[in-house]
Amino acid sequence: MSDLLQVKDLSYKKNQKMILKDVNLNLSSGKIVALLGENGAGKTTLMRIIAGVAKNYRGEVNLEGSTKEAERKAKLSFTDGLTGFSDSTKIKDVVKFYAIIFQDFDENEFTELRKFMKLDPEMKLSQLSRGMREKLIIALTFARKADLYLLDEPFGGIDAMARKKIINSIILWKEEKATILISDHFVNEISSLLDEVVVVKDHTVLEHKSADDIRQNHKSIEEYYESFYADEDDE
Amino acid sequence: MEFKDNIPIYLQIEQYLYRQIALGKMKAGEKIPSVRKLALELTVNVNTVQRALQQMNDQGILYTKRGEGNFVTEDIELLAKTKQTLIDNQLDEFVQNMAKLGVERDSLVTVLEKYLKESEE
Repeated sequence: MSDLLQVKDLSYKKNQKMILKDVNLNLSSGKIVALLGENGAGKTTLMRIIAGVAKNYRGEVNLEGSTKEAERKAKLSFTDGLTGFSDSTKIKDVVKFYAIIFQDFDENEFTELRKFMKLDPEMKLSQLSRGMREKLIIALTFARKADLYLLDEPFGGIDAMARKKIINSIILWKEEKATILISDHFVNEISSLLDEVVVVKDHTVLEHKSADDIRQNHKSIEEYYESFYADEDDE
Repeated sequence: MEFKDNIPIYLQIEQYLYRQIALGKMKAGEKIPSVRKLALELTVNVNTVQRALQQMNDQGILYTKRGEGNFVTEDIELLAKTKQTLIDNQLDEFVQNMAKLGVERDSLVTVLEKYLKESEE
């Protein structure tokens, strides 16, 4: 299990406001890892920095020897919210764009994923429900051949069937040495999948533990996660 | 299959497979489903299935044929022993639960006999 990603003494401010402070995190290859934290804890920012999208941070992010943002971007696959496309864009045109932008984008693989997710390539983005949109994002993300996949809240506001599809696609499409980091503020739906759990709170990574170590102490992942917020219920 | 989240998943997968074997759903000498298929069926990580299968290989209840997958042992004695362990585990749980309800060990047999007789009628 080699080290895939090293985040060292990372701090990030935006408009004078501290978003992340002294974050340290190491991920090895071949794992499914949850990035847990409340909304606003800094999960998305941390993912965006790892992905090379957010810049001007302090500290170092090293992905298999690459510390430059552009190099990292090419090596990892990050769920993009499809924000750059107009509503009238068809799925097949989004795919064309991905195939041009990302050298590691495999159109055959995407077709497999698209069929699995039951998405019609002729559909326009404006016609997609929230669940379908999320399934498209996941299909686009997994159609790239990367060693690290960053899924930013893939289960937000979608129905149980779409969730099941996405979970199954993770099991089916994850290659052995690839690592998948999934951010969420609710752990139950993915807890049986996890190798490791990373808790983000108070603008930093508070703890990083193996799921089995947590369960070995007869604690569920949910109890473990909630224990970080226990003291706040009294306020 | 629903897993308890406060017990390591690989242990629960082992228990699940032991049960499948004891119930005869997976028979001696038969190939068990592939790692990925099991992972999908149980909604768990491929790594976790591999860990469970590795342990069962170490215990001898499964064996691996290179490039073909995992098979249930043909060792009938070992299979019988495995089944007995499952029975013992169930009985153990039963005895403990009854004790919590105030039925002590020496009255267990009487209580059970009475129950079996009544439920037959």
